[in-house]
Order: sequence, then structure tokens, then C-alpha cells
Amino acid sequence: MEVRGDELLIVEDVKKYFPITRGVIFQKAIAQVQAVDGVSFSLRAGETLGIVGESGCGKSTLARCIVRLLDTTAGRIVFDGRDVTNLSRMAMRPIRREMTMIFQDPYASLNPRKRVGFIIGEPLEIHKLGTPGEVKTRVQELLEVVGLNPEHYNRFPHEFSGGQRQRIGVARALAVNPKLIVCDEPVSALDVSVQAQILNLLKDLQDDFGLTYVFIAHDLNVVRHISDRVMVMYLGQVSEVASRDDLYREPKHPYTGALLSAVPIPNPELGRQREAIVLEGDVPSPVNPPSACRFHPRCPRFVEGHCDVEEPPLYPFGDGHVAKCHYPLERWPMTAEEMRRRTTTAREEPVEA
Amino acid sequence: MALLEVKDLRTSFRTEDGIVKAVDGVSFSVEKGQTLGIVGESGSGKSVTCLTIMGLNARKNTISSGEALWKGKDLLTAKPSELRQIRGDDMSMIFQDPMTSLNPVHTIGKQLVEAVQLHRDVTTRVARARALELLKAVGIPKAETRIDDYPHQFSGGMRQRVMIAMALINDPDLLIADEPTTALDVTTQAQILNLMKRLQEDFGSAIIMITHDLGVVAETADDVVVMYAAKVVEHADVSDLFNRPQHPYTWGLMGSLPRLETDTERLVQIPGQPPSLLRPPNGCRFHPRCPYVMGVCRTTEPPLEPTEHDPEHLQACHLDQETKNREAAKLLESTMAEAG
Repeated sequence: MEVRGDELLIVEDVKKYFPITRGVIFQKAIAQVQAVDGVSFSLRAGETLGIVGESGCGKSTLARCIVRLLDTTAGRIVFDGRDVTNLSRMAMRPIRREMTMIFQDPYASLNPRKRVGFIIGEPLEIHKLGTPGEVKTRVQELLEVVGLNPEHYNRFPHEFSGGQRQRIGVARALAVNPKLIVCDEPVSALDVSVQAQILNLLKDLQDDFGLTYVFIAHDLNVVRHISDRVMVMYLGQVSEVASRDDLYREPKHPYTGALLSAVPIPNPELGRQREAIVLEGDVPSPVNPPSACRFHPRCPRFVEGHCDVEEPPLYPFGDGHVAKCHYPLERWPMTAEEMRRRTTTAREEPVEA
Repeated sequence: MALLEVKDLRTSFRTEDGIVKAVDGVSFSVEKGQTLGIVGESGSGKSVTCLTIMGLNARKNTISSGEALWKGKDLLTAKPSELRQIRGDDMSMIFQDPMTSLNPVHTIGKQLVEAVQLHRDVTTRVARARALELLKAVGIPKAETRIDDYPHQFSGGMRQRVMIAMALINDPDLLIADEPTTALDVTTQAQILNLMKRLQEDFGSAIIMITHDLGVVAETADDVVVMYAAKVVEHADVSDLFNRPQHPYTWGLMGSLPRLETDTERLVQIPGQPPSLLRPPNGCRFHPRCPYVMGVCRTTEPPLEPTEHDPEHLQACHLDQETKNREAAKLLESTMAEAG
């Protein structure tokens, strides 16, 4: 991978397999779920990388690997110039100050028996940042930053609505002044009007504190709104990476195309004249993924004897735009019919590793 | 005569904290072959409206009033046995969560056959043939063998198809779909919406589509009801609603959507959160969150009235027409900027 020198996070060929075991006492691994299978990307300071994909594509597992909540099976994670892949818990601890996480479910991710002040202040206590008095001042400051009333310091999570709880989650992630925040579907559980509040808040915080985000979502509209670059995942692998504008204007991978065309447009005229590219079937099981290109059983431009035999590398399309497809899309938008009628011949040159 | 005509429907629940008016004076009608979209955020009363029509609210602690005329017959005063005849036959429902709405201990074949035999006096063989036909119609591969599988052997999208098959098995005249695609991925959602559209063309059923997703409404509905805090705030034809929205809440909903086709630096946000229905605000229920709030909004509830340009377009807001037109145009300009 090309190293530009200012990367905050480098992820190299990360794999995470979960064993499926049989037996009660003598557990024997009988198969593996290939949740993440060889994902690489890098992220510059101040940048937002959006990761999209359907459920089961491994995006949350990847997030957990990045912040080392899960140990990787293979690969390397370099954070701020330091290889953190195999650091011990103790050695990892100071680094945890630098990277935090915002979780999907604002109801399940806050301890219902603790007061908000404690929840937000706990990271500060763990990292021994300040006396109790200082922690309290800092927590109240944080509450204000995320748009909550600092006087709500002593309330319990159940006294807040979903959107307000997600603000508490954001405040907790911010408490230790991290460099990187990994957001795992932070707005999917919220109503649209509240979702907009949280998205605006995350953007404002990025401007104010120079944060770097890994932003995971299944909603392509949300990802487009917040990201600088977008990575599309399918069955544990990267399908396409591009700058936001390139990806949404000129997707190269048929899967990206299908995803984009499947998003309902909130405009009756536009939405109805366009024909969605409907994929057949479901996402296959990551226990036993399809051979070669994992998308081939559902792909409208599948070529027998090529796509199911030879795994496509990530072909480059300039400007850091890469797509894992032998027969990339020629243009966009296109109809389902046009997508099936491929005019491109197979790509030759693979991307240098 | 409309297929279903709902007049001034009200539903309240008695709770420990007091009476919650979950639906407060909702009226609409659905014609044959038409799709009505009901949009609103969680807690706005859209699901309760449909549960009340179907008679599926718990009897205990529920107070309903108003009328829901099904082909002229009031469903709210109908006997449970009469309701049972209508439900699943003339009128059926697709629930939001495909993971919990199927019985896990019976094969899907058995559940589908049961749905047929409850309403038709046919042999199991005939009912099973019908079940198989429907499973094929909703696009389940290898239906002949999958019919004897249990729900846990199906994926989420497949289960939702089974739910749709079950809802359609007796050729209903009206299908109520309560967030049928919310739990699904976008590509699966596209499959299901396509399927519903095709089935509607084939069977000519009317559909009530409950959703919080304006995109889904824009693509499927003919008529749209926007609900906020148990009340209808706007009701219009779909293109009229999206091109000439008249209510500040609708503007807020539209502005707060991040969109694929346009760039917006900052989303319009509706400040605050939906009110508690235990103690709804006085006057217009949207006034505490409304950027255009005036004195009259705090005291007087705006009636649901036709707009000047179209008697079919109903809205409940005190703002003068000029301001509304201006704001709607502004909103449209900002969201359509790039789409052209």
C-alpha cells in the first residue's frame, strides 16, 4: 500500500475468522465464519471514511478489530505510527485514549444504573485525567458541547430520549480527547429528525476538534453526507473504495451500482422514472463464501469461467478509486438492462500491493 | 364508496401514568387499487391507527372511538367473530419484524395452510397447493422443498416474503403493511417493494403503507398522510406533497434527510424531540419545535383544512399561504438543486 506519511490509521490485510465449534467439553472447530477477510485501507488525520455494506458484510467486526475490542486473526493495524495489532492489554491502555467508539444502540450502550455524570466521566477516571472536581467540570463542559443541559449531570439514562442518549454516547467518546472515533451505525436507531441533529453534531465536532472518523452505516444517504471517502464491503471483503464524489457519481463495481439504485429517492418524479437494479437472492453465508469473486452468484454481469474462477484484484481507476471487479461499470447511471450488457473487456493490470 | 373509510378515529390507552391519546382524530379513505402512505416518526400513532382498524389492540385499557367503515360496515363496533372473518381474508397485515411474526415451532407450510383453511372450506391438499403457488409468486427459490422448512431456516428477507405470501394468500382487498422493509437491507428492500408493486398490479389490492422513510413513500404511495403526535398534519396526493409541502413538520422531515442526489453541507434539523402523548402541548402540537411559531399556535389548535390551490390537499397550520408557498419553494430549491 502506498504510504503518504500522514496516515493516522493503516489497516493492512486484516482478517477475522470466528470458529464454529462442536462439542461441549472437547470443542473442535468444524468451520470458520470469515467475517472480515483481507481488508486494507488507510485514513488520514481529519478525514472521514464511510464504510457501507449490508448486514453480515463484516463492517462492525472490522470496527471492533480497529479499536482492538476483537483480536485479529491476521493482518496489521498501525495507529498513529505504532503497530497495535498485538499489543497487550496494558500496552494498549494509553492508546485507548486516542481512539474511542460510538455504538449503534443508544439504549443498550449506556449502563442504566449509573448516572450520566459517571458514564461520561468514567473514561477520565480510568485514564487518571484530573481530580474528581476537574472531572466534573470537564463532564459539564462536554454535556454542553454535545447540546445537553450541564445540569442533567445527575440524571439516569432512562430519563433521556434516544437522540439525547446518543448525545451522551458522543460525549463519552469525546471525553478523553481522542484522535480517532469509530462510529458504528450511530444514527440507525434514531428517527430522521433526530438523526439529522446527531449528524450535524458529529460534523461540528469534527470541525472544532479536528477529529478523524471511521463511520459505519448501512444507509448510503447518511454515509454520503458525512464521509470524505467511502469503502463498500461485501461478504467480508472490500468491493470498492473511492472519494465520496467519485463513488456516488461513477461507481465501478456492480454491487455499488445495485446498492445506489436500490435507495428510494424522496422525490416521486425522480424515484418512479428510474428503474432499480434488483439483485437476485440473498447475501451468501460467510462460512462458505462463493469462489473467486464473492459477488458472482448475484452479479448481473457475471461471466462464467472467469468471475467464478479468478478472483479479481482491486483494479485502480485513478485518484485512489479502486474496485474489485473484472468487468467494471462503464458509466453511471445505467438501467438493469444496460448493466447486463457489458461492453468492457476484462481488466488486465492488477493493482500493485 | 371507498373501500375503507376512517372517520375521526381516536384511540387512547389507559396507563399507570394517565391516559395516552395515541391516535387523536384521524380521518382518511382508501380506494381500490390505491396505495396510501402513512408517514411519521416513532410514537406518532401510525401503527396504532392500523391496529385499531384491524381490531388488534388489547381490549383491556383501550378506548377507541370514531368510525372505520369497511365497505360500509363499521369495524370498531363489529363483533370479534365478524372481525376474525374479515381479518386475513378481505384485509390482511404485514408486520414490521419478520423475525418475530412467524411461529417458530411450525413449518411455514403449515402456517400458510392454516391461513387458508381458517377462511376457506378446502382440503389440506388444495390449501397446500395454494401456499406453494404464493411462495413461488413472492420469489422463494425451490419453494417445493422450502415449504416444509421452519422459519429459522430462512433469512430476514425470505421471512418477510413468507409474511407477504401469508398476507396475500386469500386475495385480500386491502393489505396493511406496517414498516414492511425497515428491518431489511436496501437491496432486499428493493426486492420486497418491487414484489409488492407487482402483486398489487396482479391482484388489484389496495395497500396502506406505514413507514418513516419518505423515500419509500415517494416511490410507492399515491396518497400520503403525514402524522405528528397522534394527529394528521398534512394529507395530499404524493406529487403535491413533495412539490408543495404545506406544513413546517413536513418541511423539517424533508430537509433533515441526507440525500443521494444532492449535496447539502448541513442538514436542516428539527430541534427538540417529539412530545409525550401523556401531556401533549397546547394549541398546535408541533409549536414547541416549530421555527415559524406564532402566538396563535400556542393557544389554538389549527384545523385540518384544504389549501387554496387544491381542495384535496389538507394541512393543519396557522401560517399564511404566502409564507408557506415561499418556504416550500425555498425547500424545494435546496433539495432539488443538483437533481435538476
